Amino acid sequence: MYGNAYIDPNQTNKLTADEDPVKLAEFEARIQAGEKIEPADWMPKEYRKQLIRMIEQHAHSEIIGALPEGTWITRAPGFRRKLALMAKVQDEVGHAQLLYSAAETLGKSREDMINDLITGKSKYSNVFNYPALTWADSAVIAWLIDAGAIVNQLANSKGSYGPYCRALERICYEESFHLKYGHDNVVHLATGTKKQREMVQEALTRWWPPIMHFFGPSDKISVHSETLMKWKVKMASNDAMRQQFLDMYVPKIWDLGLTLPDPNLRKNPETKLWEYTEPDWEEFKRVINGDGPCNAERLAVRRMAEEKGRWVRRAILGENAEYVKPFA
Amino acid sequence: MAEENNEKIDSLDPRIMRASLDHSDIDPLESLDQFQTFEVFHQAKRGAQHQHVGIVHAPNPEMALLYAKEQYARRGVTANLWVVPSKYVFATSYFDDDMFDTTPEKIHRDPATYKVMDKIKEYKERQEA
Amino acid sequence: MNSIEALKELLYKMADDQLIIGHRNSEWTGIGPILEEDIAFSSMAQDKIGQSEHLYNLLHQLGESDADTLAFTRNADQFHNSQLTELPIGEYDFSLIRHFLFDFAEMLRFDGLRNSAYMPLAQLAKKFYGEIKYHTMHASTWVRQLGQGNEESKARMQSALNEAWNYALGIFEQGEGETVLQEEKIFEGEASLQEKWLNAITPILEEAGLSIPDKSTWEPKNGGRKGYHTDYLQPLLDEMSEVYSIDPTADW
Repeated sequence: MYGNAYIDPNQTNKLTADEDPVKLAEFEARIQAGEKIEPADWMPKEYRKQLIRMIEQHAHSEIIGALPEGTWITRAPGFRRKLALMAKVQDEVGHAQLLYSAAETLGKSREDMINDLITGKSKYSNVFNYPALTWADSAVIAWLIDAGAIVNQLANSKGSYGPYCRALERICYEESFHLKYGHDNVVHLATGTKKQREMVQEALTRWWPPIMHFFGPSDKISVHSETLMKWKVKMASNDAMRQQFLDMYVPKIWDLGLTLPDPNLRKNPETKLWEYTEPDWEEFKRVINGDGPCNAERLAVRRMAEEKGRWVRRAILGENAEYVKPFA
Repeated sequence: MAEENNEKIDSLDPRIMRASLDHSDIDPLESLDQFQTFEVFHQAKRGAQHQHVGIVHAPNPEMALLYAKEQYARRGVTANLWVVPSKYVFATSYFDDDMFDTTPEKIHRDPATYKVMDKIKEYKERQEA
Repeated sequence: MNSIEALKELLYKMADDQLIIGHRNSEWTGIGPILEEDIAFSSMAQDKIGQSEHLYNLLHQLGESDADTLAFTRNADQFHNSQLTELPIGEYDFSLIRHFLFDFAEMLRFDGLRNSAYMPLAQLAKKFYGEIKYHTMHASTWVRQLGQGNEESKARMQSALNEAWNYALGIFEQGEGETVLQEEKIFEGEASLQEKWLNAITPILEEAGLSIPDKSTWEPKNGGRKGYHTDYLQPLLDEMSEVYSIDPTADW
């Protein structure tokens, strides 16, 4: 479950300054021709760096993304929901495993990435810094956050780096279950008792601002990197993905008679584009820099998991253990 | 980043409340925590080829197989799994992939290029003439 | 006790065991010690909860309430799980030892039930036997590795084993319906099962370098089968049914 890579605008300068021009040209021609780059290939330093950053953020988002819904794992109502929520949260952990593996092929070990996560050095999707207050929040997350993630991941699965594309194909396949489960869950609440309907409406109202933040800052204020687009690291602009998401899901939300907390939200019949109140990007920045409702808890929980697992990992490591980068 | 302090975390998640967490930092993981890497091959049905599906990290082959089952075979059908230490995989270099360039042109291996029916037809016509 | 009542007693204790241990083990999902292990442990928790649902469905066919009602609306004194299953997850050592002790008992129980004269149960036992086999493979691999791991892991596993042992003996608490079940060839009985269990786990624990507590100290923690539980079960049930009980008649 992931929105879009947060690329630090200060880091996208001089991407190719000291690269071998011949190798760079071959590399770019390969991507231009629609071929994938594989781990053993030559690649520009900046390509490697940005991909590690992006895949790592994505992996962290999966493992941290397991926490808001995990809040309800012991309380899911009825066997069907209980089993499905467990399977869904488990899938998120599985996705983290796949993505860490893909990032590892670029030369950073899983442990180094997890270290950077728990020390706050690397980011994850902002949306998981918000709390899942009620069962209905977990339903809204499963439906709409996963829906947003699929929009992003389908785009990225057409990117240029082979291992990331392969991981994303598997992830998208699994997330289609999440989306169905989430939709089914929201529909049951929205068409259920008065209380259930209230729960889901309140959850949707709470989650709408983070969902609008999900794809990252507006293109108007976000720094574009043409090079990253050319290298097929970044596949679609933040606004383009947000539009696609709104187009696919707002009608489905309205169809259930639910309301969204934005009086300006509408599809302009002439431009065919969705219009909305500009999300609060100052809040987005505040939360991404650590000051959200759940940042501290999310990292503390992840630290706990690592710390509780430490003696287990040590005991079974074996004397001849030798870390090897995944092959593909 | 949370400030280092011992204030307890107030979570909505009852599991986390039971764990009674605080905000304190932990020591970084050591590189020693890194397990070996195994490439995983999945066979859907008897008779089918095993296909490479990804990797697991595990301390030994026995654990790697236990993990491969749940990471790569928890959906769909499976007949068999292999795990192979990544360090034992040897591959050609993509840099040398031009050595495969002319392979598709080597049509003497291609059954579709053997067209005897034309010859037979022509022969029969000649005989009848 | 007639054979239907005896059968229900058997099904209740099995279903409740599976549900409660599956619920407990699910608490590790997303916060397990290693990503791959997190995934594997969650799968097994799902298997257990799935199996319990099937067992409740058999009870429903025998005239009891439906599976959701049975799982989400009863109080602790109406549950028949062994006390072992309801204890908190503790550290991973305790969760693994419990998983090992319980799952071997369960595998042997299902193994015998594959030949049960009560066909619906025999069919379920056959269906789930493969799942449970994986659970015991997973459990014995871990116990061997941590027992043989390092000083810390060995000490932890031994202490977890000591802590869990008498509770594990409580799995085999005999029910009133046992004689009937044996006569009708539905179930072999707890005494026979316990003997098989000891035979199965002893060599694995030995290989792991772990010692079963001295027999003179054995005091089975019985009572669970009759509705007597530790203080941990009712809060577990309250938590599990927190959302369901907002409106038990609603379609969730």
